[in-house]
Amino acid sequence: MKRYDLIIVGAGPSGLSAAVEAAKRGLKVVVFDENEKPGGQLFKQIHKFFGSKEHKAKIRGFKIGEELLNEANDTGVEVVLNATVIGLYQDKEIVVKIGDEVKHFKGDSIIVATGASENMVTFDGWTLPGVIGAGAAQTMMNLHGIKPGKKILMLGSGNVGLVVSFQLMQCGCEVVALVDAAPRIGGYGVHAAKVARTGVPFYLSHTIVKAEGEECVTGVTIAEVDDKFQFIPGTEKHFDVDTICVAVGLSPMSQLLKMAGCEMEDNPKKGGQVPICDQYGETSIKGIFVAGDVSGIEEASSAMIEGRIAGICASYYLGFIEKEELDKKYEELTNALEGLRQGMFAPKNRGKLIEKTEEGIDVSMNLLEKGYLTDEEVEKYPGVTHAKGIHPVMECSQNIPCNPCQDACPKHCIKIGKNITALPAVDESVECVGCGMCVASCSGQAIFLINENFEPGYATVTLPYEMLPLPKKGDKGMGLSRSGKEICEAEVVEVRTSPAFDHTNLLTIKVPADMVMKARFYKGKEQ
Amino acid sequence: MSKCAEVVIIGGGVIGCAAAYYLAKEGVSVIVLEKTDNIGNGASSRNGGGVRQSGRDPRELPLAMYGIRNLWPTLSEELGVNVEYHKEGNLRLGKTEHHMEILQGLTDRATACGLDVRMIDGKEVREINPYLSDEVIGASWCPTDGHANPLKTTLGFYKRARELGAKFYSGETVLEIKKIKGKARQVITDHDIYEGEHIILACGYESRAIAATVGIDIPMRKELIEALVTEAEPKMFAQMLGTADADFYGHQTEHGSFVFGGASGMEDVNKDNGMQATSSLTAPCICRGIMKYIPKLADAKIVRTWGGYEDICTDGVPVISKIDEVPGLIIACAFTGHGFGIAPTVGLLLSQLAMEKETVLDLSALRYDRFKAVI
Amino acid sequence: MSEVNDRSRDIGPFVPAEDDDMIICRCEEITKGEIRKAVHEGMYTLNEVRRFLRTGMGLCQGQTCGKLVKSIIARELKVSPAEIEPATSRAPMRPIEMKIFAKEAKEVE
Repeated sequence: MKRYDLIIVGAGPSGLSAAVEAAKRGLKVVVFDENEKPGGQLFKQIHKFFGSKEHKAKIRGFKIGEELLNEANDTGVEVVLNATVIGLYQDKEIVVKIGDEVKHFKGDSIIVATGASENMVTFDGWTLPGVIGAGAAQTMMNLHGIKPGKKILMLGSGNVGLVVSFQLMQCGCEVVALVDAAPRIGGYGVHAAKVARTGVPFYLSHTIVKAEGEECVTGVTIAEVDDKFQFIPGTEKHFDVDTICVAVGLSPMSQLLKMAGCEMEDNPKKGGQVPICDQYGETSIKGIFVAGDVSGIEEASSAMIEGRIAGICASYYLGFIEKEELDKKYEELTNALEGLRQGMFAPKNRGKLIEKTEEGIDVSMNLLEKGYLTDEEVEKYPGVTHAKGIHPVMECSQNIPCNPCQDACPKHCIKIGKNITALPAVDESVECVGCGMCVASCSGQAIFLINENFEPGYATVTLPYEMLPLPKKGDKGMGLSRSGKEICEAEVVEVRTSPAFDHTNLLTIKVPADMVMKARFYKGKEQ
Repeated sequence: MSKCAEVVIIGGGVIGCAAAYYLAKEGVSVIVLEKTDNIGNGASSRNGGGVRQSGRDPRELPLAMYGIRNLWPTLSEELGVNVEYHKEGNLRLGKTEHHMEILQGLTDRATACGLDVRMIDGKEVREINPYLSDEVIGASWCPTDGHANPLKTTLGFYKRARELGAKFYSGETVLEIKKIKGKARQVITDHDIYEGEHIILACGYESRAIAATVGIDIPMRKELIEALVTEAEPKMFAQMLGTADADFYGHQTEHGSFVFGGASGMEDVNKDNGMQATSSLTAPCICRGIMKYIPKLADAKIVRTWGGYEDICTDGVPVISKIDEVPGLIIACAFTGHGFGIAPTVGLLLSQLAMEKETVLDLSALRYDRFKAVI
Repeated sequence: MSEVNDRSRDIGPFVPAEDDDMIICRCEEITKGEIRKAVHEGMYTLNEVRRFLRTGMGLCQGQTCGKLVKSIIARELKVSPAEIEPATSRAPMRPIEMKIFAKEAKEVE
C-alpha cells in the first residue's frame, strides 16, 4: 500500500496551506480533493479579503488561491483531483475513489481539511427547484459562469449572504430583498452598506413564509417575526422571484473524523460537530490533525493560517523539524490568527450586541437594522472629516481587523495605528492628492473621495465601482443615497481604472453641493 | 433508590424488546435496560433481515418454523408498525459441486424436520430470479422463507411494548446481577439498582461478562462482521438470498435499496476502534461477491457500510434457558448471527419462561449447561 | 441519567401542527409531522428516528437534514439540540458504484 508522510484531505485554503508548509520541510505529501479544481472556496471569492498584509488583505480570494497553488507546485506537493475520499479507516488508512477504481493509502500523519457544507432552513416550498444555497449560487456564478437566476431573494444577512448578494448583482441578477429572521444584520456593516446603496431593501426580523410555484420557484412571501420567531399576521410581503438563495450558516464536514473514531463534540459556536483537538489541531487520535472550517467555521484567511499550523505540527510530529522551529513558527502563526480574531466580529463576540466601538462611539443601529448609516450618524466616525478640496471620507464604523487603507495612502493621511481593529482616522495635517488608492484598497468599499468645492454649487464624489457595464465619462444618471434612493442628478466626470486598483474602478460623479455627503452610488439612466 | 418490576430485561435489542412486548401484552410489568443511547443498537439493527428456516440447525429450526407460521404473518398488524415482512422464499445459491454438496446436506437435515425445502438446478433458479448469473449452478429453495426490516421490527416491538407500559432506560450499563437470598433479584447499573422477580439477560456477547457476576459462563466469542446498503433501485426480486459459500447474503427492501452482508474471510481477526469499525477490505470484497451472483447491480450506488458484532456460540446455536443455579435468571444469547428471524419466537418463549408458564416449544436443546469438552 | 434516556418520561401528547406536511428529509421524503410523531412513539435519538423512518438514510446520508431532524427531536423532547447525539458516520463518504468500490487498484510502486 502506498505510504505518505502526510495525507491531506481537501485542497482548499487550509489543506493547501498545510501541504505547502509540510512539503517545504521535506515531508512526502499528497492532497486529495473530490473537486475537479483545487482551491476550495478561494476560487469562488472574487471580492477583496480583509485583514492586514500578512493575511493577504485587499487581495481577491481567487488570486490568493492562485498564489497558494503556485506555492504548492513550487514545493512539490502532489495534488490529486477528482479523488473522492471514501473513508478514513483504522491505522490512518485512506480509501480514495480515483477514476473507476478505489485506491488504498496510508499516511504516517493525516490532516483533514474537508471544510464545511451549507445549512438549510425549511419553509413551505423549500424543496422547489430554485431554492439554492448561497454557496451553490457562488459556485454557479464564479466557477461555472452560470447566472443562478434573474430575480433573487436572499435569506441570511451574514457575510456570506451579503457578499453573495453583491456578487449576484455583479453578474447581472436583480436582488429584490435581503431577509433575515434575526433582528440585526449578522455580517460586516460595510458589506451591508455596499448592497444597501444599490437599492436592495433589507428586511430584518423577517423570514420566508412560503416559496411559491408548482414546478419551480415563481415567487416568495416573507413576513415579520416576533422575538420568539413566530410570524406576525398581516405583515406578509410578496416578491416575484425565480430564485431564493439561502445563506443560513455552514456546518463542519467532520464525518470523516467521526468515522475514524476521533472524539467529537457538538459545539454550536463552531457551527456543529467538530473534533476535540489540542492547540496544534491534533485530534484524539495521534497523528490526525485538522485545519480550517472542519474544526470550526471561520473565514478563509484563518483557515489558511490554521492549515500552516497543522502542516508545521505534522512536520514536528514526524520529526522533520526541531521543537525550536515548531515553537517559533507556532507563535508567529498563532499571533497572526489572533490578529484575525479581534474586534466586534471575533468568535468570542458571536451573538453579542455590541453598542459602542472601541473608540466609544455608538454603533449605528440603522446600519445593523437597515444596512446603512444615516446622514447624521456618519459624521460621528473618525474617518469622516470636512476640508477644502479633495479628501477621503471613510465610512468605516465597526471595529474589524483590517488595515490596507493605512498603507494605501502614499501621503500617509490615513491612520489606524498598531491596533488593527481601530477605526481609520484622517490625518488632517497631510494633504490628500486624490490618487484614489485608498478607495480601491478598501475591501469593504467604504472609502470615498469627496471634493466639496468642485465648481460653484457642485461637488464630486469618487466611489468604488465594480458593476458592469462601466459608465463612461459624460454619462448622466442619478446619485443614490446610502439607502439606494435616487436623490439627485449626477454626471460622471471621471472614470479611472488601473492595475493598482485591481478591478475596482473609481467613478467620480458630479452632484449638487448639498448632496456631497449623501450621494454614495451612481445609477445610469434607464435604457 | 430502587426501581422494581416483575421482570427486568438486560439488553434493548430485538430479543429484549420482543420479550418486553409479549410480557407487557400479558400485563406483566417490565423494565428494559439498554447500555447504549439507542434501542436496538447491536446486531438487531445491523443484520441482513433474513426470516428463514432453511440452513438452520435442527435444534433451532422449530423456533424459526413456529415464528413463520404463527408470529411473523400478523406482526405488523400487532405492533402497529410495518415491519416489511415478505414471505417470498429463500434461495441459497451454489456455484460449484462442492457448494451443491453443502446445500444438499442442509436440505436433507431440514426436510427431516418437516421443512418444505428442496434442491433446484440453475435453470429453475433463474426462473425464480432472472437476475442471477450463469455462475449459479443450483440452489436450495425454501418458498416459505423470507425477510423483514430488522430496524422497524426491533423498534416496532419497542414502540408497542412501551405503549403497553414497559419501561425502557437507555444509557444504563449493567455492572452486576445480584442474588438476594439465593435468587437473582437485583440488577446493578452505573446509575441505579433495579429489582425484578425474573431477570432476562439478552445483551449479546456482553451477556457473558454479566452472567459471570453470578458464576455462569456461556461459551461464545464475538466477531465483527459487515454489511452495506445501496440507494433505492427499481424493484427486482423479492427472495432472500444466501450462498453455500456464505460470501454474501441479503435482499431488496420494500424501499428498493439492497441490503447485503458478507465477509472478507478475515472476520475472526477484524479489529475495532470502539465504533464497530468497518475494515477497508471488506466492502470491496462484498461488492465483488455480489456482482458475481447479480451482475446487474454493478451500477448500484452504495450509500453506507457498517459493522456489527455476532455473538458466536461454540456449538453454533443460541442459549435460551433458565439457569438452575440462579433461580429467576433467564439467559438468551449467543445467537451466532441468526437471531433476527427467530426473535419473535424467542421473545414469546422468554415471556413464557418469565411467567413460569409452559413454553410452546421444547427448549432443552438450547440449555446453558449443554457444553462439554470433547473427551 | 440524561432525560433522553428515560423512555417513559412524559413529553406530552402529539399535537398536530400546521407545518407537519413539510418535507424535512428530501432524499427519503420524510415530513416534519412523521418525525414529531416518531418521537412521541418513543424514538428519542437521531439513530432511532433514522432507523424507524429512514431520515438521513438516502443519498446524502443526512448531510442536509441531520441538523434539522436533530432540532425537531430536541424540540419535541424539550431538551437542547446538543443533548441529541449526531448520527454515526460511515463509509463511503459519498455514494459509490458497486463496480468501482469492488475494483481495488493493483499495487504500483
